[in-house]
Order: sequence, then structure tokens, then C-alpha cells
Amino acid sequence: MGSTTTIAPEKVEIQAPQTPYKGQNVPRKEDRRLVQGQGVFVDDIKRHGMGYIHFVRSPYAHAHITSIDVSKAESMKGVFGTLTGEEVASLTDPFFQISSVPGGNIKDYALAVGKVRYVGEAIVAVVAETRELARDASELVEVEYEPLVAVTDARHALDDSKPVLHEDAGGNLMWSGVYEWGDLDAAFAEADKVVKIDELHFHRFNSTPLETDGALVEFNRGVGQWTIHTNNQFPGFAAIMMGPAMRTGIDKLRFVTQDIGGGFGNKITSHPQLVVCCLLARKLNRPVQWTEWRTDFHMSMSHGNERWFHDTEVAVKSDGTLLGFRTKALDDAGAWLRYEPLGGVIWAQVTPGMYRWRHIRLEFTQVATNKAPVSPNRGYSRMQHLWFTERVIDIVAHELGLDPIEVRKRNYIRTEDMPYETPNGCVYDSGDYAQMLDVATDLIGWSALEEKRLDAAARGKLLGVGIGSTLDSGTNNFAQSRMINPELQFSGNNEVATVKLDIFGEIVVTLGTTPQGQGHETTAAQVVADILGCTVDDVHVRSGHDSYWNSHAGFSGTYASQFAVTGLSAVKGATDMLAEEIKRLGSVILGGVPVEALELAEGTVRIKDNPEAALPFMACGAIINANNAGLPDDLDVTLNCRYVYRPPFQVPDIERKFGNLTLTYAAQVHAAVIEIDPETGYYEIVDYAAVDDCGKRINPQIVEGQVMGATAHGLGGAMHEVFEYDEEGNLLTPNFYDYHVPHALDMPPLKTGFVESPSPFTPLGTKGMGEGGGAAIHAVCAAIQDALRGNGDAIVWDSSNPYRRVWEMLSSPDTAGGRVSVVDA
Amino acid sequence: MLLREVEYAKPSSVAEALQILASNDGARALAGGQTLISVMKARAASPDALVDLAALDELRGIELAADGTLSIGPMTTYTELVDSAEAKARPILAEVCAQIADVQVRNRGTIGGNLCSNDPTNHLPPLMVSIGATMTIAGQGGERVVSADEFFLGVYLTAVGPGELLTKITLPAGKRDAFAAVTLGVDGTCIASAAASLNGSLRIALGCVDATPVLVEPASADEGAVREAVRGAGLDPPADVHASAEYRLHLSEVLAVRAARQAAERS
Amino acid sequence: MSENAAALSSSRVITVTVNGTVYEREVEARKLLIHFIRDDLDLTGSHIGCDTGNCGACSVIVDGTLVKSCMLLAVQADGSSIETVEGLADGDELAALQQAFSDRHALQCGYCTPGMLMSATALLRTNARPTEAEIKKGLQGNICRCTGYWNIIEAVALAAERTRP
Repeated sequence: MGSTTTIAPEKVEIQAPQTPYKGQNVPRKEDRRLVQGQGVFVDDIKRHGMGYIHFVRSPYAHAHITSIDVSKAESMKGVFGTLTGEEVASLTDPFFQISSVPGGNIKDYALAVGKVRYVGEAIVAVVAETRELARDASELVEVEYEPLVAVTDARHALDDSKPVLHEDAGGNLMWSGVYEWGDLDAAFAEADKVVKIDELHFHRFNSTPLETDGALVEFNRGVGQWTIHTNNQFPGFAAIMMGPAMRTGIDKLRFVTQDIGGGFGNKITSHPQLVVCCLLARKLNRPVQWTEWRTDFHMSMSHGNERWFHDTEVAVKSDGTLLGFRTKALDDAGAWLRYEPLGGVIWAQVTPGMYRWRHIRLEFTQVATNKAPVSPNRGYSRMQHLWFTERVIDIVAHELGLDPIEVRKRNYIRTEDMPYETPNGCVYDSGDYAQMLDVATDLIGWSALEEKRLDAAARGKLLGVGIGSTLDSGTNNFAQSRMINPELQFSGNNEVATVKLDIFGEIVVTLGTTPQGQGHETTAAQVVADILGCTVDDVHVRSGHDSYWNSHAGFSGTYASQFAVTGLSAVKGATDMLAEEIKRLGSVILGGVPVEALELAEGTVRIKDNPEAALPFMACGAIINANNAGLPDDLDVTLNCRYVYRPPFQVPDIERKFGNLTLTYAAQVHAAVIEIDPETGYYEIVDYAAVDDCGKRINPQIVEGQVMGATAHGLGGAMHEVFEYDEEGNLLTPNFYDYHVPHALDMPPLKTGFVESPSPFTPLGTKGMGEGGGAAIHAVCAAIQDALRGNGDAIVWDSSNPYRRVWEMLSSPDTAGGRVSVVDA
Repeated sequence: MLLREVEYAKPSSVAEALQILASNDGARALAGGQTLISVMKARAASPDALVDLAALDELRGIELAADGTLSIGPMTTYTELVDSAEAKARPILAEVCAQIADVQVRNRGTIGGNLCSNDPTNHLPPLMVSIGATMTIAGQGGERVVSADEFFLGVYLTAVGPGELLTKITLPAGKRDAFAAVTLGVDGTCIASAAASLNGSLRIALGCVDATPVLVEPASADEGAVREAVRGAGLDPPADVHASAEYRLHLSEVLAVRAARQAAERS
Repeated sequence: MSENAAALSSSRVITVTVNGTVYEREVEARKLLIHFIRDDLDLTGSHIGCDTGNCGACSVIVDGTLVKSCMLLAVQADGSSIETVEGLADGDELAALQQAFSDRHALQCGYCTPGMLMSATALLRTNARPTEAEIKKGLQGNICRCTGYWNIIEAVALAAERTRP
């Protein structure tokens, strides 16, 4: 059982930092360069003689490529060369597929080979002297197509009448699996009612980081090694995918990142484009540069999983106790499996959501369609599942005439049951969901609700209030991939850090991570400074990631809500090693004093009872590096410590799909108050509260910033953002003009609160956080449904609710809302 | 993204500008560029030459005559219209211009550009139609005046022909105007819009429902009369990702009613 | 302004002053101002985040006016005086807005930040005491995907408070 502390401030006050730094709002080290425009983002990097890439992309969703002619493009003045799918197919092997059959049989190359499978798929790369010339030359590439019918509705992707995207897979089924735990029959027998929900739909959108993907690649012919300056946020994964495909060793691929303009998971699967850059750098014997156009990002990059939930049946008691559910999840993967089908198991980290039901069955089917490939998006696969559980709670409450707050409290996992083992063996480490719910409802004035409703009605508006509760499962056990494909040899997780005390006393830290705004340099410095007894300004954390630092391992990167656990634990481990070494050196230099009698403080190692007997860090560094004669032979001290943090995981029972899949579980509870204009369906959020619990907070304002950012993403996804396709597979929202993201005027008032339930499983009591689990989407859906109560009573069934959908639900509740029925068990 | 190759000139008089436009078929006038540059970046249209109007002071300025008539130079930016003392004679101008996009766009975008590009979702075409503005068009052969009702011909198509320039927009006196819209986010692109003017008889111009603003003239500002007039207009609005035809039609009706009521409430 | 401004040409020599430094360069007529600033002048503080003039990451101040530099051709800026993020600090001393952004955690990845700072700078020049609504209106043309804007709005208010006459 963890202890919790609750504070519900309106604002987090900025104070001057004091030691210990843990828990302080230490100003960010990153800020100084970023506010001066001195950050180094990938498009900022220049190399003499570099060529700029422009991709020729498919205008068809599904077509055979019958011919490609690059001759006119190649002969244009200023063009350095081109690359086609045919060349890629001869120079590389298809990318490794995570999936077992049938998806595992598809052949994925860095450029389209023989066929295009989504609008925007890259077919040819053109490299020229300037950006403009590359763009011009791409218009001279002549491609002939034989269009095919496009598959755009996942619900019909497996129909016999539909064309097959990947002949090698023999159909559009990519992966399927059945998950079942507990005793469904018993649960439905014990139930008083069964709530049946025909169809729920989680829509396709993503986080559109403001900086698009990009790279500048150089090839060193002499040693056959590529330097890839990029903003890919998971270089470990990119290397594993690219090395074998390019028939080269992993060490030949040096990844260098510095500042990244947002990732949110969307910068994980750029390895195909990176392969194109590598091949061209080698072919043309010059550095090549690629910056993705915004339109290309929207059309081709990392859409979030679009998921249907069909034939859901929920076993409930009349008092609202939930016993279990069964459902069929249909996932639309788009045209390629890049990180998929991991989404088919990652949801299972949060199988029961935040609730105590024990009997669960989920049939998961993932299909290919002629849309952009899906890959991780903030909240990856858990968000979709948690939205589903929240919809179920709300719909059950609605159908049984119960208060959604009461139903949640009745069914939430209780703080006294933590650590809590879920039906599939995951362990929720700590948390107090009921308390978070109280804080959230308090913040939006729940008790004055009816008054607010009447006031809104007097102004002709419908008021709605909704709760969205969610989890951020963090630090993955990659063994869960074996539930997708038992032949995979992945398990556990890791992250690396090095900390050294250099010759002039500098403390230098390297990380394996690829931060995109999460403030790693700052929080790492806080942890180091607390252990070494120095100031954060004394600690220099190198920016970004570089394979040559040897500060990474197989899973290094920044994704999936884990830095506070994996990254910081690696930092702690390396710093603890360094601290111990400094003391052992100090022990020798200070006349053989026992290590226990020493402390690290004020940038020195000194005797606790006689602080004037102190050896400054600079002296330690100088001795070991440049003045080490006469030291005892057995003094094993280098002051250059590398630590690999490995979370405590086992390989789960793959047969039963049972075992711990993630180490920590941060939580959020949001409350949204909306007002709908019933004549138009237009609505706005008039009050909003976000309460989060991520265990021990190393830097509260950084954590709060993540909560805010996730809230904004959720609100955008709930109200406006959708990657909508027409029947021919054309993306109707390929830019920021039609894909509306929230701007400053769109933001509602925000109140925040937090609870701190330390994790018993992590060295610092921290939990990974940042993704935010889509809480805002859950809350907005619930608020809309509340507003529709007594106004047609339509059931909110889609996660995307722009004004037109709200109007449809108001004006045609029987057809526009979800179909729900309640039967006696 | 990136423009195709283009030629550029910056004339210092309207006569010079007209001369370049008349002698180069593929030349287009460049006003604020907030639409044209965007269109050229997407390569949806690629004029051979751009004639930058930025140096043409003759095309700037707002004059308020004693009888309340407003004469507005087409190169007047939205920001200038929002800040203008003269334009306060017709408050709806500042109110609507302040809703267009954002500060950066308002600092560069011009009333002339907004009218001449005539994107169906633009704010100012329906507003000018409801107000009953007139447009002065100059060519090498002389000047002519076209009413707002006849100025807008199609999507991105107006009465300003090749070799011509819009040189003045004239608004009669009046204050009982309103503009109602449902937009994609606050100050966003219009999904549906209605501009109403009750200075004399009621004129309501609907945006977003056709290639050009659709004028309806209800018998009164009462809800019933307005709805009847909108329904009688035979609208066949486009469907797109933001609205079905049915939803757009419904919104048009609701917004027309609201704009009419707001215009009537003004004194 | 260069001679023969009225004659059509596909490239011309332009003179621009950026953060007080005068540059003379030949540019193609089609080159966007943002690319001129980033690629020709190596001032990479201003960023590009979209294709359609919606995101504001490229915002700079031209002759005292806030504009999106991806929606202007470099040739249109001939003879102009441009301010970019690189010109905000005074040597080592950060401008009040830059300091306030850091104090209020108004940046995470930092990609939108230069554009935000220019928009905020333009706002405070015309309105030294903006309300929350006025700040939002002034920043409406700048997209941020990391912060949700709340801290940015607070930072601008804080800078205003610290610098008000």
C-alpha cells in the first residue's frame, strides 16, 4: 500500500530551487538555447554539397505500378540522382515483420515495389541541389499506374469481394488473437442485466508534432558507416529494422539526435525513409537531406490506431457492479505493419481499465486497408481500450439510470488493493482513483451542477458534464510481443546512462534517450546533483542521443511513458556507482578513512565529522585521469560509470497471455463541462479539470506540462482532429487547414490537481507518464452524452465528435447514436 | 511547399501594373498573398508572373464621405480595417475582419485579395453582397463599376478580368449589419456563414453554400420569413469533411435567422 | 529598392536588414522568405511546421509588422528590416519574454517557441497590459502541440507585468 498526498492547487508556483532537487521546479537547462532559437533541429543542420530529397508519392490508394521513368528528372540541371523501388528491392531485404502469419509474410521495402497501397506512399526519391529543384524534378518523373479498387472500411476488409493489399499475406487479415480470462459464463450467469453495445468506434488521428520527420545522412565510404542525423525517437528500433534490411551491421548506423520538435510516438517509424536516405547518400556519394512536408506527414506517417469494438456485452448487477465483458476489437492498421501488430497486445497492459471486473474476453483482429500505416500515437493502443472501458461505464450508467460517478466509485480498483493484479496478470503498482475523482469533481464544482444546467438552459444551451479516467502504463516488458508472435526473441526492457567526473571536475552525463521536450537534461541533473551533493549547474547533461556515446541499449529511445523510471533509474544507477567510486578514492587520498565515514557535499568528498578534510571533485578527476601513479593496485576506480537499468520482468505465460506487461501505472481523472448550442451542434468547453498521479514527481512543472499537453491533444482529438478518408482512399484532411488542431483561442479554462502515490517498484518511486491516455477524449464523450440525456438520449459511440456529429445525434438520435440494448441476464 | 519558377515585378503606379498585367497572359496581381502564395506553394495554380501591388499607395486608404459612404482601397489590410477610425462608420467591417484567422494573416491579408480570390468560405464576399457594395475595376481602357451582386462569378473567379485590377470598394452608409458563422475552431475557416444587412430592405447573403454568395431577401427579419426565404433559394450546398450538404443547409438557415435578428437589433 | 523594380524578372538582388545586420543577396523570385532566412542567411531559429501558412512557426516581424514568413516571398522583403528570434536577447541577457517563458515552463520541445516569442513581442509592443483574451488573440496564429498554451499565456502575462511602464 502506498501513501498518498493530495494537493489541488490552481497553479503550480515557481520557486527558486533548493536542495534536495527532487520535487523542485528546477528551471530547465534546455530553455536557454531554445528560447534563443539556438536549438539544433534536423533541418537546421547543413553539410557542404548536400542534396535535398523530394519524394514522388502515389496519387492512388491502390494501384499496380506499370512503369517508372526517371530519365527526364535525372537529366534536369541540378539533379544529383534518383532512387526507385526496383533499386531498393535489389539493394535491401524486406523489413523484419513483428507479426506471425499472415501479416508476417508481407514484404515491406523502403519504397513502393510494384504496387502502391495508399495515397501518399513514396515511390521514387529525387535528389537535387536545392529544395525547389528537387520539387521541380519530381514532376518530371513519369509513373504509370493501373488503378485498383481501394479498401477503405476495415469492417469490410475481409469480405471476399474486396481486393487484397498484400498477396503474400493471402488476404487482408494481418493478425488476430483471442484473449480471455476469468469465467465469462459464470459472470453472465451471475449478472442481473446484460448491456449490449452494437458498435463503438475509436477514430484515426494523431499528435501532429510541429516538427515533421527528417534526416540528414552522410556515408563514410572508407569504413562503410552512415551517420544519420535525425529526429527518430526510437533509434534502438530503427537500428534493428534497418541493419538487417540494409545488409549491414548495426554499428554501421550511427544515430545522432539533438533537439526534436515533438514526437508523441509519431516519430518511431521513419526507418523506411531513413533507409532511402542511406542508400542515396551511398549511391550519390554526398550527404542527403530530407525534411518531410506537413502534407506528407498527414498522408503517410504514423496514424493512430483506428479501432472498432463490436458486439460488446457487459455483465452487470442491478446496483451497477460490473462483472465482466466480451467484445470484438477490429483494428485498422492501414497499408503496412511497421510497429504493428504490437497494438494487438499493448492494450492488454490495461485490460480492465481502472475497474475491478475479473471476467473478460476480447477477440482482436487487425486488418490492412488502403490508408496510411498506423503506428504509435500518444496513448498507443491503451488509449483506445481505455476509451472503450470508459464508454462502457458511461453507457451502463445511462442505461441503468445510475450516476456515472457512483458507478465509477463502485467499480474502481481500490487503493487498499494496490499493488493489484489484473485478470491477465498485470500489476497496477499504486494509486487512489476514488480520491482523484473527488478532486476532479470538486474542481469543476460538481455540487453546483444543477444550477449550472439551469443557467445554461436559460441561455438556450445544453449543459453536459463528463468524467474521463485513464491510465498511463509505463515501462514496457517487450516479452508481450511474444503474444503476437511466439517466435520473437524480445523481452524485458532497458535504458542506459553514463556519468563521469572529468579531469577538471566536470560532471558529464549521457543518456540513451531522445527527448522531444520532456526536459531530460534537467530532471537527470536533479537526480545526479542530489546524489553527488553538488548543484544542478555543476552537472552537464549532453543534449540528445548519439550512438557513438555507447550510452544506449536495444530499447533506448523516448516513447511509451518511461523516462522517469528507465532513464532516471539508469542515471541513478550510474551516479550511485560514481558516488561510491569517489568515496573509495577519497578514502585512499584522505588517509585511509573508511568509506562509511565519508559524505559527498558541496562538490567535494569529505569526512562527515571533519568537513574541512575535503577532496574537491576536480582533484578526484585530475588524479584518476592524469596523476594516478602510486594509487593502490586494487583501487578499481575510473570515475566513468556506465549503468544499464533493467526493470524486474519475467517472460509472461504466452499460452494464457498472463503476466506483468508494464512496470508502472500513472493515472489521470479528467472532468469536462460543456455547453452545446442545440440548433447547430456547436459546443464549447466551459470548465475543465485534470487530476494526475504519476508517483513521485521529480520536477512538478515538467510533469504538469505533460498533463496539459496531453489534455490539449485529447481535446483536439475529441472535437476536431480526424484523418478522414473518402471512398477512394483520398485523405480529406491532409494539412492544418482542414485538420484543425487547437489554437490558443480554443483552449478552455483549466484547473489541475494531483495525487502522489509513489510506485513501490521503482528506485525513485516515480512512474512513467506523459502520454495521458486520452482522458480528454473520454471526458468529452461523457459530457456530450450527459448533455443529450433527455434531449434525444443518443449514445455517443464515436471518439470523434465534431459539431456535425453532435448535431446529428441531437436531430436524429435513433440513427446517429450508438445502438444499445439491455436484456435481463 | 515550394513555388514553381515565377517572374516578379513591383510596379510603382496602377498604370504600370495594368500594363504588365495586360501584356502578360499568365501574370497575376499579388496583394497580401495570404491566399495566392498558399495556392502557389501547393502548385494548385502557378501564374507565370506576379505583379506585386505593395507599392501602389493609390490602392490604399479609407475615406468616409459626408453622406456616410465609405471608399476602401483594395490593398487595405484586415488589421487596418479593424483599427481604422473611418471604418467605424460601418462597425460590421471591423467586427468581421477581427475574426479572420489570426494577427499574422490580418496584417498582410487585404480586402481586395479576399474579394478577388472569392473562396466560398471567405468572410468578405457575402458581407459585401449583403451590404450592397460596389466595386470599381480598372483596365487599360478605363474604369467601370460593378455591383457586389454581379462581382462574384465563380470559385476564385470574379468580374476582374485579365489585365484588370480592383481599385476601389464603395459601401453605402448604414449600420444595421450582422454576421453569423459556424467556424472550424474559434476564428477558424467558415463552415457556414450568413451576412445580414437591414439598411432599407433586408438582404442576407449566405456564404459556403455555393460558388458565389447567395442573396436572399426575406420579407422581414422574422424567423418565419427568413426560413422561408432560405428554403426558397433552392440551395444545393457542397458536402465536405466538415459538413454534409444537409448539415450545411440547416446551418445556413439557423445562421440567416440569427444574423437577421442581430441586424434588426442594431440601431 | 533595386532598379527596374517594375520589370519582370525571375530573380533579383535584394537588400534586407535582419536584427540590425544588412544582407545583400541574389534570390529567385519564387524563394519564400522563411527559406531565405534559414538557408541563405543561416538564421535557423525561425522554423517551418506546415505547408499552408497555418502554424506560425515561421513568424517574424517585418518593418514592425508580425507576419508569417512562409507566406511572403523573399523579394517582397527587399528593403525591409526584419526581426527574428535571434535578435531578442541583448548579448547574454535574455529578453523579458524569453525569461518568462522559461520561468512559466511555456516551452517543451521548443519548436514553436521562436514564432511564439515573435508574436508575443509584437503583441506587447502594441498592448503593454493585455488581458488573457487579448493574449490568446495575439497568439492565435501560432500552433503549439506540446503545452496546450496555458503556460504560454501565463508567461506572456508575466512578462507584461515585469516590463510594464
